[in-house]
Amino acid sequence: MTEKLDLDDIQGNILRAYGGQGFPKARYVFFNVQNAAKGRRFVEQLRRRITTAARWDNPKQGRPFHRGHHPRLVDAVRAKGLADYPGEVRLTKPRVAINIAFTFCGLMALDMPTRTLREMPDEFIDGMERRAPVLGDTAYLDRRDAIWRNSHGETQVHILVSLNAEMQPDGAPVAELDAETAWLERLCAESEGGVVLLRGHGPDDASYQAMSAVLTPGPDGVPIPSNKEHFGFSDGFGDPVFEGQFTPQAEALRVVGGGKIDGDQTWLPLAAGEFLLGHPDEAQEIPGAAMPIDFSRNGTFMVYRKLHENVGSFSDYIAAQSAIYGRVVGIADPGQAADTLRAKIVGRWPDGVPLMNAPTHKDWKAFQARLAKATAADDKAELARIAADYVNFKYRPDPVGNRCPVTAHMRRMNTRDMLDPAFGSKNPKDWNGSVLNNRRRILRRGLPYGAVDAAAPSDAGEHGIVFIAYCSSLFRQFEFVQQQWIQYGLDFNAGSDTCPLLGNHDGEAKFVIPPDIDSDAPPFICDRVPQLVEPRGGDYFFVPSMTALRMIGMGIVDPT
Amino acid sequence: MPNLDGGHYFLTVLAPIDNSRVVEHDGMRSSPVHMVRDALETLPTALQSPATESIGLNSPFSRNTRTHFARFAVLDDVFYNGRDPADSIVTAVLGPSPILAQPVDSLACPYLLFVADFDPDGKGGDEPRTYLESLWDIMPRELEAVFRHCYGFDTVTDRAAFADFVIARQVETTMPFNDYWVGAPPLPSLWPWLLGPPVVAVLIAAGLVFGPPHILHAAPWVQILVWLVLLLGTVWADYGLVMMLGKRPFPAAPNATLPHVLKSLYLQQAFTRFATEHQGDDPATLRRAFAAFVEQTQPDNLAGPTQGPGVVRSRIGQGA
Repeated sequence: MTEKLDLDDIQGNILRAYGGQGFPKARYVFFNVQNAAKGRRFVEQLRRRITTAARWDNPKQGRPFHRGHHPRLVDAVRAKGLADYPGEVRLTKPRVAINIAFTFCGLMALDMPTRTLREMPDEFIDGMERRAPVLGDTAYLDRRDAIWRNSHGETQVHILVSLNAEMQPDGAPVAELDAETAWLERLCAESEGGVVLLRGHGPDDASYQAMSAVLTPGPDGVPIPSNKEHFGFSDGFGDPVFEGQFTPQAEALRVVGGGKIDGDQTWLPLAAGEFLLGHPDEAQEIPGAAMPIDFSRNGTFMVYRKLHENVGSFSDYIAAQSAIYGRVVGIADPGQAADTLRAKIVGRWPDGVPLMNAPTHKDWKAFQARLAKATAADDKAELARIAADYVNFKYRPDPVGNRCPVTAHMRRMNTRDMLDPAFGSKNPKDWNGSVLNNRRRILRRGLPYGAVDAAAPSDAGEHGIVFIAYCSSLFRQFEFVQQQWIQYGLDFNAGSDTCPLLGNHDGEAKFVIPPDIDSDAPPFICDRVPQLVEPRGGDYFFVPSMTALRMIGMGIVDPT
Repeated sequence: MPNLDGGHYFLTVLAPIDNSRVVEHDGMRSSPVHMVRDALETLPTALQSPATESIGLNSPFSRNTRTHFARFAVLDDVFYNGRDPADSIVTAVLGPSPILAQPVDSLACPYLLFVADFDPDGKGGDEPRTYLESLWDIMPRELEAVFRHCYGFDTVTDRAAFADFVIARQVETTMPFNDYWVGAPPLPSLWPWLLGPPVVAVLIAAGLVFGPPHILHAAPWVQILVWLVLLLGTVWADYGLVMMLGKRPFPAAPNATLPHVLKSLYLQQAFTRFATEHQGDDPATLRRAFAAFVEQTQPDNLAGPTQGPGVVRSRIGQGA
């Protein structure tokens, strides 16, 4: 029997990608605990307001297939009159979703028992700063926001409270967001110095990290939140699908392209234990976790990582490099060469259409035409097929990377069947599916911050993406992907080449684009890729279940 | 498997450390094995990570181009695996009682392990002697710091004595690891050898059947015994042949000496830079540029330009 999750016990931010689900605005607020008892009282007051993963009634739900910029699988499910989200309706969708998480030092400051603390994983105990050599952050530590540079002693980050909010028609967050922020400040004041709100975000020393989906003008000039990030790419397609996350009907549809590829090449949901502690994982066992088990179960770990995007460098680089690229591979139109180069770097065209299903500029335009036609005709069946085409592909048909370069950003982050030891075998009986990828998946829940002037992109300024990820092992999942697949290329037979988008580029960084199928052009080598993304700080957090949160707040964690 | 394999010499040395004394140094009194560790931990490793690159002190082994890999380690003692395994029912009936102590094996002294994978001198010299002598020439102070607390090192005063000292402590390398064959090496087929014993056995059998002893007239148990001996003898002979042939060294991989490896690493990086910079050139320009590239990089000249030993990159694009 597939797993049925206790949705009322799991925090809502783990199962729901708030940013794409009606909460395009966010404030992340960080606290230091100076007194354990007062800190626990603070937690207890917050606990009553935490948004769980329970199914909610959304009065404004509707307009399937036409809300965003591309058709989505959730709409395909709803178009059939089926529920996408599992469980019974227990909540009304809040205007602001509130969630909480703790650093290791935060748990220590709240007086958690030594036995519970010492069973926490090494990397969580270390925190993101001490993992800098693993993550490739060493050169950027001095450029972090003050809150992270000063995260020591009495200004150490202990608690994260996230506020994800709905948006008003003018693009501003709903008024409730200010009210919740003021409430948090009041709780701090009432703690009589027990809990201190930490400032230090961005150049203005802000008291929270503000985030917002990139807004694009819709019809009538009303801003619509998009899934774009500041380089101009649509993001968030490849999120893993795991057991218990969806209704069986929705799972059957979503698992294709989102789950794991079994040995017989069928798509299956990943094990829930890859994303929630205390559940069987992809090793087909329940992994060890800090005791008591009800402290860990239904909780998970979270990565918070503020990434500045050098949009000026990216724009200049694409302009200069695409001129050479167009000449070498024979694309005369400069705009077309630039679009193709961008797509080759990411693995998707700027609107998210994957190279694997639209390898050339012509194919991309054909895909867009197909979408426009289906949208105009409101052809739900065709829209559902198009929604699937954003995620439904394997890499076996493209071993050399003629469609999507082997070291493109998307192909590195989710290798699908590419690392199958029998990838090159012609005999399907030898094939192992995505077995070497299944334990490296993460749930991505980030949102952009700041704004960019698209007409004059500049590296300077306060803009980027707050990368947020959930996984049950930071070491095995997030850190592995960061160290081996972003900052190294050996698994892709690409030596020391790093990710062309997120990797560290040491001045000699290159990115190799194999020629199109049937083209006699040589491979193209992108030369001296500039540093496109720079970490501005962050940390690792434990996201407890509601049970664990009660135990923390009441001070009754008992590992014996 | 032998010490010399695949064209490389795999040296394994176990040198006992005299840990019975106390070393007075810098106003402190330390055990000799402590001093050995101190020497090893302050010996620079190659410049192959951001940390060592920033220190900038290269491994002394990089002072010549003979060593592929070298490793030192201290073996304090044999590992204790717990009591001898026994079936609990058998023990309950026959003993020994689990509450009786069993002896725990221990080494008489710690050992210094030294393993190195190096190129033979190529002139038919006596190995590992010429290698050890060359090592003494390039890093005598470091070797002295590492080996000085080993039994018998007080006799080492020059390169010949150092080679004598190490060779006396050498053990056979039984499982060398050779990574320079990119495909399977051309090995002669074993079949002509393996067919020999069966052919001989068939001839003997034919002699026994048709010849004067007329084995078919013998008692049945004698017949069974004779055929069994013949069968087992054949298997044993083939097994012996496989083991004997397996002891022959692997042939040397082509172009696998350290200077070859360093030159190819250099060329790989230089060619990547060349290919990147000349993308889209017309054939005539490309041809001229490639001629200049060949002239500058001299692919057949191992002496240079090339990558230095003990570093992880050539930094072609940065003018190095």
